[in-house]
Amino acid sequence: MDSHAGPLNVRPSRIEQLEADFASLAPQLSDSAERKALSVLHGMVQELWRIQVSGNARQVRSGPTIDDIVDLHEHAPPMEGDAVNTPLAAGEPAPDFALPDANGRTIRLSDYRGRRVVLAFYPLDWSPGCSRQLDLYQHELDEFRKRGAEVMGISVDSLYSHGAWAAVRGLTFPLLADFNPKGDVARRYKVWREADGFSERALYIVDENGIIRHAQVSPKLQHVPDIYDLFSALDQLATPKAA
Amino acid sequence: MYASTYSPFAYRPQVADVAVYGSRWCGITMMVRRHLDRAGIPYRFIDWDLHPEARDQLEWLAGGRIGSPTVTIGGQVLVQPSLRELDWALSRAGYR
Repeated sequence: MDSHAGPLNVRPSRIEQLEADFASLAPQLSDSAERKALSVLHGMVQELWRIQVSGNARQVRSGPTIDDIVDLHEHAPPMEGDAVNTPLAAGEPAPDFALPDANGRTIRLSDYRGRRVVLAFYPLDWSPGCSRQLDLYQHELDEFRKRGAEVMGISVDSLYSHGAWAAVRGLTFPLLADFNPKGDVARRYKVWREADGFSERALYIVDENGIIRHAQVSPKLQHVPDIYDLFSALDQLATPKAA
Repeated sequence: MYASTYSPFAYRPQVADVAVYGSRWCGITMMVRRHLDRAGIPYRFIDWDLHPEARDQLEWLAGGRIGSPTVTIGGQVLVQPSLRELDWALSRAGYR
């Protein structure tokens, strides 16, 4: 914390004193309904504080808003399950494909020779883990570009679903529709879940020559790949030659 | 009986400690951690898949309902905060 500590030290605020007191009392209370009630009350105080200070109190309104649509994934049915596939191996050529993006443009992997590509296979638009994963990548586009990499999302959703989903989430990188034949590209990349009708959550890093350099399938559908590991995998590739 | 755990003469640094509790595979947790990284704010990350005991005290503080991530900033406990809420809490704790 030193880098952010200013030249002055100040006394603990009253709320911090109270918080410390509250925290220290926990070990002195045995498990009971009273202990649980005190804990619940404390949780309520924290939530009220959070809502009031951040201005997030729900306004009375007549219908759903864009924010409600953006947040749909927070209340959507969970998507869970173990991985059932092993991805193609690093060192193999990445199968070429031509898929439409949300604007109807055809995106060919082979058009990206000379650049690194992160192919993010994800199960479905609008679902819980996928919304968070792709939000994360949108926030990190500069980090990917610094590493000479383009990001593409691929799922079996139609280009119209991709368009709506990208619009409400503010996603600007290509979302490719592996829609017809359904899941054909996911099958060729060995990440298709036949019983579910969608792909694994899987990442491929394809290098400047179209060779797979990194491949992973999340061990569980709900597991978003660690972004720090992804950056590390990109960093471990040789620096691309200057054009 | 009110009994402060702080000495009346104790002082604290100008900003509060930040700790992020959660799972490495959780998208919101990564979003929060990267937000703190970009802001240059030091924090402790506690992987509660590896340290499940860390959940007990958090559950006490949050009324038994915690989610990944739960962020503590000084006396504030934020369960799955939005980045906006996180910034609010950080500013209250002395971060600019």
